[in-house]
Amino acid sequence: MKPFAFARPADAAEAVATVATEPRAVFLAGGTNLVDHLKLGVARPDLVVDVRRLTSREITDTADGGLRIGAAVTNSELAADRRVRERYPVLAQALLAGATGQLRNLATTGGNPLQRTRCVYFQDVSTPCNKREPGSGCSAVGGYTRYHAILGTSAALPDPTAPETCIATHPSDMAVALAVLDAQVQVLGPAGARTIPFAELHRLPGDDPSRDTVLEHGELITAIDLPPLPAGARSAYRKVRDRASYAFALVSVAAVVADGEVRLALGGVAHKPWRASRAEEALRGGPVADDAVRHAMDVELTTAQPQPGVDGGNGFKIPLVTRTVVATVRDLTQETQA
Amino acid sequence: MSAPARTPAGAPGHLTGPAGGGIGTDAQRPDGTLKVRGEFAYGSDLWMEDMLWGVTLRSPHPYARIRSIDVGPALAVPGVHAVLTSDDVPGAKAYGLELADQPVLAVDVVRYQGEPVALVAADHPETARAAAARIVVDYEVWEPVTDAIAALGHPRWNAVHEDDAEVTELSRESAHLHPEGNLVRHLKVRTGDPSPTADVVVVNTYEVGMQDQAFLGPESGLAVPAEDGGVELYVATQWLHVDQRQICSALGLPPEQVRLTLAGVGGAFGGREDLSMHVHACLLALRTGRPVKMSYNREESFFGHVHRHPATMRYEHGATRDGDLVYVKAEIYFDGGAYASSTPAVVGNGGTMGIGPYVVPNVHVDCYGAYTNNPPCGAMRGFGSVQTAFAYESQMDALAAALGMDPVELRCRNAMEQGSTAITGQVIDSPAPVVELLRRLEAMPMPDAAPDDLRHMPGGVSNTTHGEGVRRGVGYAVSYKNVAFSEGFDDYSTARVRLEVVGGEPVATVHTAAAEVGQGLVTVEQQIARTELGVDRVVVHPKDTQVGSAGSTSASRQTYVTGGAVKAACEAVRGQVLARAAELTGRPVGELRLFDGAVVGEGLELPLAEVLGDDAVEETLEWRHRPTEAIDPETGQGFAHVQYAFSAHRAVVDVDTELGLVKVVEMACTQDVGKAINPQAVIGQIQGGTAQGLGLAVMEEILIRDGKVQNPSFTDYLIPTILDMPPMRIEVLEYADPHAPYGLRGVGEAPNISSGPAVLAAIRQATGLPLTRVPVRPEHLTGT
Amino acid sequence: MRLTCTVNGSPQQVDDVWEGESLLYVLRERMGLPGSKNACEQGECGSCTVYLDGTPVCSCLVAAGQAEGREIGTVEGMATEESLHPVQQAFLDAGAVQCGFCTPGLLVATDDLVTRSLAAGAPPEDAEIREALAGNLCRCTGYEKILDAVKLAAQRMAAR
Repeated sequence: MKPFAFARPADAAEAVATVATEPRAVFLAGGTNLVDHLKLGVARPDLVVDVRRLTSREITDTADGGLRIGAAVTNSELAADRRVRERYPVLAQALLAGATGQLRNLATTGGNPLQRTRCVYFQDVSTPCNKREPGSGCSAVGGYTRYHAILGTSAALPDPTAPETCIATHPSDMAVALAVLDAQVQVLGPAGARTIPFAELHRLPGDDPSRDTVLEHGELITAIDLPPLPAGARSAYRKVRDRASYAFALVSVAAVVADGEVRLALGGVAHKPWRASRAEEALRGGPVADDAVRHAMDVELTTAQPQPGVDGGNGFKIPLVTRTVVATVRDLTQETQA
Repeated sequence: MSAPARTPAGAPGHLTGPAGGGIGTDAQRPDGTLKVRGEFAYGSDLWMEDMLWGVTLRSPHPYARIRSIDVGPALAVPGVHAVLTSDDVPGAKAYGLELADQPVLAVDVVRYQGEPVALVAADHPETARAAAARIVVDYEVWEPVTDAIAALGHPRWNAVHEDDAEVTELSRESAHLHPEGNLVRHLKVRTGDPSPTADVVVVNTYEVGMQDQAFLGPESGLAVPAEDGGVELYVATQWLHVDQRQICSALGLPPEQVRLTLAGVGGAFGGREDLSMHVHACLLALRTGRPVKMSYNREESFFGHVHRHPATMRYEHGATRDGDLVYVKAEIYFDGGAYASSTPAVVGNGGTMGIGPYVVPNVHVDCYGAYTNNPPCGAMRGFGSVQTAFAYESQMDALAAALGMDPVELRCRNAMEQGSTAITGQVIDSPAPVVELLRRLEAMPMPDAAPDDLRHMPGGVSNTTHGEGVRRGVGYAVSYKNVAFSEGFDDYSTARVRLEVVGGEPVATVHTAAAEVGQGLVTVEQQIARTELGVDRVVVHPKDTQVGSAGSTSASRQTYVTGGAVKAACEAVRGQVLARAAELTGRPVGELRLFDGAVVGEGLELPLAEVLGDDAVEETLEWRHRPTEAIDPETGQGFAHVQYAFSAHRAVVDVDTELGLVKVVEMACTQDVGKAINPQAVIGQIQGGTAQGLGLAVMEEILIRDGKVQNPSFTDYLIPTILDMPPMRIEVLEYADPHAPYGLRGVGEAPNISSGPAVLAAIRQATGLPLTRVPVRPEHLTGT
Repeated sequence: MRLTCTVNGSPQQVDDVWEGESLLYVLRERMGLPGSKNACEQGECGSCTVYLDGTPVCSCLVAAGQAEGREIGTVEGMATEESLHPVQQAFLDAGAVQCGFCTPGLLVATDDLVTRSLAAGAPPEDAEIREALAGNLCRCTGYEKILDAVKLAAQRMAAR
């Protein structure tokens, strides 16, 4: 592990200023991802700035009927909050589907959406990876791809040696729920505060796979706002994985069904939590029977690009995510009718 | 001169534990209190004030020539005390359990990814790691050999059964990795008619992926240099004396100067039968004159021990229309990886156990172990049998389907029993209750039809399945495994037992070198001594090389063999004590026995204190099970095995056929253990073995790409959690084996063998899919 | 750097802690408390579970600096000199300990679960136990006797 300095500033503004002036500085909140990456050599900062106590650990009601979640609220606290469980079951379910009790007790609201991919090649510093070491290439192409992307990858048939190639997925369950809830991210940066719609927080690899989000260096998430859902809306999160718990998603679905509207976000399929806008559009105003949902997902997945791999590749995700969406929407619709 | 080294913090002490509990009772572990207090020291907990940390530099390539190694930059790092390469190995450069083909540190060529190349000792583990990263190794990278069948030059499925596979000309795929070629062992079994015919024939090819032992306590130990020029090694291992032999050979030191003590072992399951950091830590300690601790992290652990052999198997079963097995032909390939390790024994078990506990008149088996540039494979719980059981039990189900018979009926119709002849020509001369094991399973109640709680559905707490597309399946499988070492191996254990009176109370001390790895052998040793010597207090001496070999903690053999040795040593001690008592009392020895701390006879109760006074009675002896013999190399015939273990499983699964998710609803198991020395520990072995078999069936596999491991972490190599393991129903049978101490039968491996195939059969029944490869993954079940 | 915190009720101060060390490393190598185990050091096994300000966490993923001023509880703090904690005793009685490497983490996780459940008015049900302990891998037992141990502990703790 590369040596680094450790700073414990007094407040968020000082933390932001400290990171902003040191190009190789990082924020440390819950630590569940960063501490691992320090050990693995994936993260090699000169300065680690502890922000765990510097943002709010409160969940408060907002004037519009939504909730503001302080960035220091832990995943356990958030999943246990009565208002979250009653009003945003999709979020509580997504949180509980992620990691384990011990990790949810550490992981924070601000940190969880910023966790980095679990691509094994990103985590193995002995292999080329454009995300970890820009320009070095992508080892995942043709490798171990069951946790990799089928949507939004940098090219239809990725070239493992190209500097833009990256087929990693975003691993957070919570982020998929936040995407479907149209959450807003409150950020404090060197230039002041700003608000970022959650859907715009994460990026596709584009020509720079090393950047996961649109946050600038020194920008710190201070809170996440949840707008109210329409009256009568139902929501749920479903996750398909290789064992019963404590594993990342092969695919996952966050869904909200309200009167005349279906909202869908997908996990485990792309470099970011994937809002299935095309499918939502296809379903708008129409009936939400299984066939319609299946058709909508076909529309969503027209650009899907299965990746070959050592254990048969990840083409199975295309039907798998469709089936998961169909079953989730079916249950929510039946609940709504009942 | 024996110069005792200083003792590290965490060096094992004598275990006492709660008093009382002879054989057949649930006596508690003597190390249990230490373990729950967090005071039991594992290899990674050992500590000395001035110790250094050792780390290993490993090859990133599966196959390469080493042009040069420059250790200069590493030596220049402040805090580094030594950097070693193969040039610094004073004795033999290679070691191995059966063949000495594995370099201590790579010599000129590396043959697998992760092969140790150089060592560093430094004052902080991070310093050692940083220094290792600065060693410059210039590799000429070669293309690896990665397919076991191709490595032997065999066509993929040769015309079986005619003759031995002809090795075609050498290609890149079969380039020789070792001077004698890529064949480690070829075992043949030939019985009956070489060209049999049958009414109904099923032919299938099966594959089993590479499983990891995934013991939780990583490889670790501490080497302490001694004043006599030797070394004391505290290490978590499975067989101290075979380690000692190999370490002595590499260090060029006699056994008196290489003294081993067992450190706390955090699980083993076969993965500690080969050396890992043993020689490395000793080399660094002897070079620096300081104690050196080595402790792998999880990633290194995946590279630091052998794995379960992946297997590719083609089976042909022929039967009469009534369901009598006529013949079995099998071709079995085990990928041994870069070095031999236990491959010869794995081939031995795979070949001789490879058609299961069934009586078949005509058998033709070819079982091969091959070298490749994949990770070395060796011992893991139930080896050889675990892989073949997936094939032979799948074949029994396929045959039953072809015959329109019930799968359990077909098994019972062809099952072995006492007096049956195995395919090695051996007559099964102890109980073989295969039919009863199956019938008892059938008679057990079935779990409730529909789960009442979504959390019990496939997908568990992920809120995944709500009952749609869920189908239930039930599957059965039987295991058949040789217990202890086979094929003429001189398989023995040594026990030293002392009886004395301390503070007015009789105390027995048992000293063996048998590795306690978590299974509870230390409890069994105490129980036997209590029963044989009639005392409550039994002390277990630390396991070390100051007493003779106990053989390996593997092959389900320690309760049998070391248990037998302890029993025999106790009997010898008892004989002496009773002789003294006879002299004192004038009674014939035959009328006396030991009970409750006294010599008793009719109307006599003479406290041991009065018999022994201040004396201690001690006996040390070696004990052997009856000898086995090598099998005929052309026919596979011979008295190869001393004992067999049998268990059977019934698995009930719910499969979400839309999403490919499997929920194992219940596992039921029946096993004949001969005599349950500690019933609670026997149940623990059955439950733990069942979990490992279930894991292989549905999730566990080390994935290899061009010879490189893709998933060396617990993030990507998944083992069952408490949510994946269902409740179990267990019935333990006790049909004594007349040849074994107390009639007992080795327990540990059998349940690991039958559980996976039962789960696979159940999934197959639920889905109607053929499923010829494990582990089964979601995408194999969704038809996508 | 200097680290000051409370471990098992006693104030602790250690100097020369390297910033990159985890709380687990500090406990094991600098404070002489090796009871918390290092099976994966990646938050994937639960064997290093300790209480941090009363909440169970994976100590391998807590940077040493983040333990500053906090209260830590480890397996070494559960028993008294004379007697075991009921959770410890239940693990022994139920036969839930084999190699024991997962045991310290499981004991802390179980204590947390049972304490919370009883405070909420009822011992934990099977499904809750499985959910709560899914972060603690065990390779020896197949978990059944761990489940038994948790229920036994809850029963005994409820009776106190």
